Amino acid sequence: MTQAWVLARRALREGIRTPEAIVPTLFIPLFFLVVNVGQAARIFPGSSTAFLHGQGYGAFQLPSSMLLAASFGSAALFLVEEIEGGYFDKLRATPVHRSSIVIGRLVAEGVKALLIASVIVLLGLAFGIRIASGVPGFVLLILLTAGWAIVYAGFMQVIALKTRSAAATNSAGLVFFPLLFLTPNFVPRNLLTRPMEIAATFNPVTYVMEALRSLILQDARWETIGLGYLVVAVAAAIMLAVSVRVIRNYD
Amino acid sequence: MGEAASMLPAAQGDRAPAPAVDAEGLVKTYRSRAGTVEAVRGVDLRVESGEIFGFLGPNGAGKSTTVRMLTTLLSISAGTARVAGLDVAREPDAVRRRIGVALQEAGLDGRQTGRELLVLQGRLFDLSAHDASSRAEELLELVELTDAADRRIKSYSGGMKRRLDLASALVHEPEVLFLDEPTTGLDPASRVTVWDEVRRINERGTTVFLTTQYLEEADQLCDRLAIIDGGRIVREGTPPQLKTELRERLGLARDATLDDVFLDATGRARTHVAGEVQEVKA
Repeated sequence: MTQAWVLARRALREGIRTPEAIVPTLFIPLFFLVVNVGQAARIFPGSSTAFLHGQGYGAFQLPSSMLLAASFGSAALFLVEEIEGGYFDKLRATPVHRSSIVIGRLVAEGVKALLIASVIVLLGLAFGIRIASGVPGFVLLILLTAGWAIVYAGFMQVIALKTRSAAATNSAGLVFFPLLFLTPNFVPRNLLTRPMEIAATFNPVTYVMEALRSLILQDARWETIGLGYLVVAVAAAIMLAVSVRVIRNYD
Repeated sequence: MGEAASMLPAAQGDRAPAPAVDAEGLVKTYRSRAGTVEAVRGVDLRVESGEIFGFLGPNGAGKSTTVRMLTTLLSISAGTARVAGLDVAREPDAVRRRIGVALQEAGLDGRQTGRELLVLQGRLFDLSAHDASSRAEELLELVELTDAADRRIKSYSGGMKRRLDLASALVHEPEVLFLDEPTTGLDPASRVTVWDEVRRINERGTTVFLTTQYLEEADQLCDRLAIIDGGRIVREGTPPQLKTELRERLGLARDATLDDVFLDATGRARTHVAGEVQEVKA
């Protein structure tokens, strides 16, 4: 684990020294939050919309923005850069455990997501959103978002290792948009049309989003929160296993 | 080795130390849409401990592929390779602990400083934070980069990057150092500096396996060398042995150069076009 942590610290330094890669991660999700709330807030007034639990539509939309931010990680693109520049081979020529190379970047991505998610939630608080589950809920909210960031960064790393191409990795990242929109993104699942509801039920992002949303809108509903965490834990385990397998067979 | 003019020293008996590199029938094949490509076709190599061994060949001859197999970076399709006495395919981690690798196009992380890169490299070889830091300091002095140690690597010149890459390959005091075209793209002054470093490293007991396209470099540095062409070793021996063999075989009136040996071995020839060079008489 020491080696993974050493590599994670390097990846964090890399992030700090490349602020231009972090700014859009924060800006674009906030932009979507403002636009979505601007378009739909009058349709769903907080005072008369049951699923908002007395809050504004911004509170309902906040999880989408957090998940979007968590899916904008730059770890995979830095990895492609490293593969193209030769430093990845330099790392592979050391006796470092192959899983440490993968885990190091994922840990850094998780830490970055913790910070970015905190900033987004704090900005939300400043604009009147409340976290109904309180401070413990805030912590769970941030941790679950960071967990999703690790899952998605793991997926992107697999694409980067398989394709070794920045263009292909960038394109693969866009898969998040269908995943995000095949969820109860604008209304709860029971208000979706039947085909959309079926699609959302099979989409793992739905359960993460619902867990985040329940932490913001309602007091702790452990079944929903637990399901969100379970989805992230299973997806993270799968992504880690696949990433390690791919890096071990990297030729 | 086929028709390769092998000029290996005679076997030195049971007391001889294990060779630094010992490869037999090394093959690398790639599958592509166009079919199977054989990049390396049965390479036999033996590099004795303490040597500077040169590995020469034209572009695409299989030099880098061979080095990448010997350094555990590429899987071996067929044949065996032992480096520092260890089987590359069976004990890759143990091999990695005993080798240093500086590949083509200095593979460095431009966002780190020189010092951070060396400390990180030390930590990946299980040095403590304190030892990695001390070792980084020593190496920065060795390659004369102390003044630039805390600058980001992306601001370094090509020569500085090569020296740092060399230093990073030495962090764990490897038994065998693989240098893949360490001077490609460098100006003559930087090239000579790298040569001096290579000699110094070798004098400290490290075996150096050097690939290069520069024949002068091989002539200056290498105790022995092999020439690879089309994925096969076509010549092997000391530079004087190879030159003498060529002069005697072709009955040359003048001494052969390593350029002549290379051109003869790879089937390439100097082309003189009539009138290309005009004699000027005063």
